Amino acid sequence: MSIHFEKVNYVYQPNTPFEHQALKNVTVSIPEGSYTAIIGHTGSGKSTLLQHLNGLLKPSSGRVTVAEKVITASTKNKELGDLRKHVGIVFQFPEAQLFEETVLKDIAFAPKNFGKTQAEAEEIAVEMANLVGLPDELLSHSPFELSGGQMRRVAIAGILAMKPEVLVLDEPTAGLDPKGRIEIMQMFEELHLQHQLTIILVTHQMDDVANYADHTIVLEKGEVIAAAAPKDIFKDPRWLVKHHLALPKATNFAYELQKTGKFSFEKMPLTEKELAAALAASLKKGGNQTE
Amino acid sequence: MEEPMIEISDLSFQYPQQESEALSHLNLAVAAGEWLAVIGHNGSGKSTLAKLIDGLLIPKTGTIKIAGVQLTSSTLWNIRKNIGMVFQNPDNQFVGANVEEDVAFGLENQGVPRETMIKRVEAALTDVGMWDFAQHEPARLSGGQKQRVALAGVIALQPKIIIMDEATSMLDPEGRKEIIQLIQNLNKKNGFTVISITHDIEEASLAQRVVVIDDGLLVQDDKPAKVFQRGAALIESGLDIPFSEKLKNEIRNQGIDVPQEYLTEKGMVDWLCQFISKK
Amino acid sequence: MHHLDPRSKLILSFYFIIIIFLANNWQSYALLLVLTLGGVFLSGVSFGFFLKGVRPLIWLILFTVLLQIFFSRGGTVYWQFGPLALTSFGVINGSYVFCRFVLIIFMSTLLTLTTAPLEIADALESLMEPLKKFKVPVYEISLMLSIALRFVPTLMDETEKIMNAQRSRGVNFGEGSIMKQIKAVVPLLIPLFVSSFNRAEDLATAMEARGYRGGEGRTKYRIHFWKRNDTLACIVFGLATLVLLYLRNW
Repeated sequence: MSIHFEKVNYVYQPNTPFEHQALKNVTVSIPEGSYTAIIGHTGSGKSTLLQHLNGLLKPSSGRVTVAEKVITASTKNKELGDLRKHVGIVFQFPEAQLFEETVLKDIAFAPKNFGKTQAEAEEIAVEMANLVGLPDELLSHSPFELSGGQMRRVAIAGILAMKPEVLVLDEPTAGLDPKGRIEIMQMFEELHLQHQLTIILVTHQMDDVANYADHTIVLEKGEVIAAAAPKDIFKDPRWLVKHHLALPKATNFAYELQKTGKFSFEKMPLTEKELAAALAASLKKGGNQTE
Repeated sequence: MEEPMIEISDLSFQYPQQESEALSHLNLAVAAGEWLAVIGHNGSGKSTLAKLIDGLLIPKTGTIKIAGVQLTSSTLWNIRKNIGMVFQNPDNQFVGANVEEDVAFGLENQGVPRETMIKRVEAALTDVGMWDFAQHEPARLSGGQKQRVALAGVIALQPKIIIMDEATSMLDPEGRKEIIQLIQNLNKKNGFTVISITHDIEEASLAQRVVVIDDGLLVQDDKPAKVFQRGAALIESGLDIPFSEKLKNEIRNQGIDVPQEYLTEKGMVDWLCQFISKK
Repeated sequence: MHHLDPRSKLILSFYFIIIIFLANNWQSYALLLVLTLGGVFLSGVSFGFFLKGVRPLIWLILFTVLLQIFFSRGGTVYWQFGPLALTSFGVINGSYVFCRFVLIIFMSTLLTLTTAPLEIADALESLMEPLKKFKVPVYEISLMLSIALRFVPTLMDETEKIMNAQRSRGVNFGEGSIMKQIKAVVPLLIPLFVSSFNRAEDLATAMEARGYRGGEGRTKYRIHFWKRNDTLACIVFGLATLVLLYLRNW
């Protein structure tokens, strides 16, 4: 299920003194089965774009195509209900959406809303709790008794329970400690690889882009200024500096090494592993050459 | 030796309705002008430590001395004047209706005369680069800007100690960088004693000393270089290691001998250059 | 208008609502209209905003006006049906009531548009000052009010975020039967309640860390000065009252 934006504009509070155009003529595609990263500064239009993916917002003009469904300014809200089942959004700090008495009920909430019976929904909930690594004994607990990291997992399971084909993640690791961060990111990686989920990740962490994404969309002031594979995005540091974007740490380090004149990289490394491999090759060979 | 700014001995704390102690028998001394990073995974007890130092929680056992004065219910309010805290959530510590009024809040509490207040508010906001936003309401500020205002509120009170309780964890990379730079300045130029509670390893690497807390126990207390050298122990505590250490490990995995000691990124570049020149 | 002391604005707005009941003929309403329009003009706020203030109340106004028109007796009778009667007296009374409503709405819109909510809280605190003698915690009430106001945008933001999150989980707000709509509010209210509670706790800790221990011994950063214009505004209102009293017995 691929997603297309065609000439999408979005204006907040039109015809008021607070009018603000958040998306400008956005034409971009998110390929089916991809792991797409969306990067850009606070206020670049990321969260507006994201809310178009499941019809929380409708374009002021232009069209969005998701799951064969075309959304334009005149699309009725009633027609959007089904769409939300296909595109699951995990918002920033998603633990804020928990409200049920038990973890089980909270995870079962969405499938029930989309027409599953109580029994079916709870069966899915148990399955999803396992998938995100929540121990069974927590299912009967109140979600508010859990630790921050566990609450985050409950919220994510609650979205996965809709069995969406596209999973949208808005800064999913914000506020977690390093261990929690790595565990959650690896969990998404597995979902992507094993369940063929299309993943859309909104992030400030360039290392996450380098480590996980295969496609990148760069937003600036409501416009798409680049859409390409991460290796192509990160191959021009001057362009990145101009747009106030950071490099992945490994790539940044490689550029620093190149400046010494003693190393040169044919292909810029994006991750520590790639960097180490390139360095090892040239260290073993010696001299001004790398793979 | 000079008297430490903060002296903690045998400090334990337990939250009500919890089975185990959040902090157990902790001993720690912080010198005046020092920058100490306290790192640990979420729920390790590091924020509890910050709150105990400021008297926001009452210890189960042990004592805390600030600038030689023991923290008790009668010395509490005077001791708090020496300590400024910035908390994690930028929204939940903004009391004023706009920027300048928020900075003034602490001064009002201390009964500082209005003329002095006006000068100190302006100076503090200028220090953090937010004077141009003096009239702005919190809703019009980014998270990073709100934390800068919170920091100005602290500076205006002219304390001796600044405690950053995960103050950068909810910010985007740019906001985080700005706050860390400000802290560096305040520590070096103005001589504030800084305690930064964090799980950001790059932030910790800038401190003069790092304390690792794991499940309520102080497990390491050393210079950053020494702590990072024991990378495996950090990862076991649910933490990260700096980029240069990660890279070193990966190079070692490629079958190349790497130095034992911790190298900064700059150090790493130098070592690599030397290595390749020798060939 | 924006620069007047909030205290004078608050007092004068209330005062206006009182003196409007002194008016009992066209001349006096004309005077009050001139006074109000003068304020509107001085505020520099576009007239449309004032009309917007009338709109939500229009049915209430019309209802009251119609009551006045059909149930007041006196003067020439134009039309009669049972207890209903259209009299010249009724028409005049109805139009007075209409004027009264519109003028009051204009004046209160003027107050809220030119005065930040927080300034109103300040004004209230200052005006309630004498109550301190009776052990009313005036300072605490005012701080509570100003913090509540400060968190309004934050809570609105939070509400929207939670609504979006629950919509994404298949909740339809504002659709279906009443029961369904009531049920849909639960997933919104509980998270809002929980987060407000956490916020309150965080805020209390932060305030304590910043040395807050009640109103005793605090100084104030934000103070208001009674300026010449405030005195001027009071004089204008005083004169208007005198003219009104004169017109009343004319």
